[in-house]
Amino acid sequence: MIPIEYWLVLSSLLFAIGAYGVLSRKNAIVVLMSIEIMLNAANINLVAFSRYHTVLHPLEDKDPTGQVFALFSIAIAAAEVAVGLAILLTVYRRYQTIDVDKINILRW
Amino acid sequence: MNRSGYVRGLAIIAFALLFIGAVLSVDWPSPAGFDERNDTVSNEDVGRAMFGVSGASGYGLIMVFIGVLLLVALLGGIFLAKEEKEEGQ
Repeated sequence: MIPIEYWLVLSSLLFAIGAYGVLSRKNAIVVLMSIEIMLNAANINLVAFSRYHTVLHPLEDKDPTGQVFALFSIAIAAAEVAVGLAILLTVYRRYQTIDVDKINILRW
Repeated sequence: MNRSGYVRGLAIIAFALLFIGAVLSVDWPSPAGFDERNDTVSNEDVGRAMFGVSGASGYGLIMVFIGVLLLVALLGGIFLAKEEKEEGQ
């Protein structure tokens, strides 16, 4: 069994990489991908703690609620990406760019 | 990379080190009496937790809501992405 610290460190690194992408990149699609990386870091935490709970209490009933919540989180991330990409498509049609530094008004 | 890029990078590295330090400073209890073969959560267990074994247990209703959310997101995406017709066409 892999110790939970390793998963948490991996999750922290993924979250930091995603946060760096959101803060430093200008391409909106890369920003969207970085947000997905941050969401996946949260999913790793959910699954790791679910597994850790099972490992710590082997005599109780198995409780995979954390894994179920990770599946919900993945579904909601899919919905977010669908809307985000559609918004980016509209913004590109309007401004001919998806540079987040140049998209600075919330109207069109 | 310009100066603000370095500042952002350093801030993120400090952020990650803060998280990692917090994780490693906790004394996580080690498992005892864990049998890797019998105590591992299977896909069947996840399915049971998601849809329940009887009555209103499980998260079936939430699955339906998430399905509706995905449908709405799909329709919203199509609505936003569809080509606008030019005036007079």
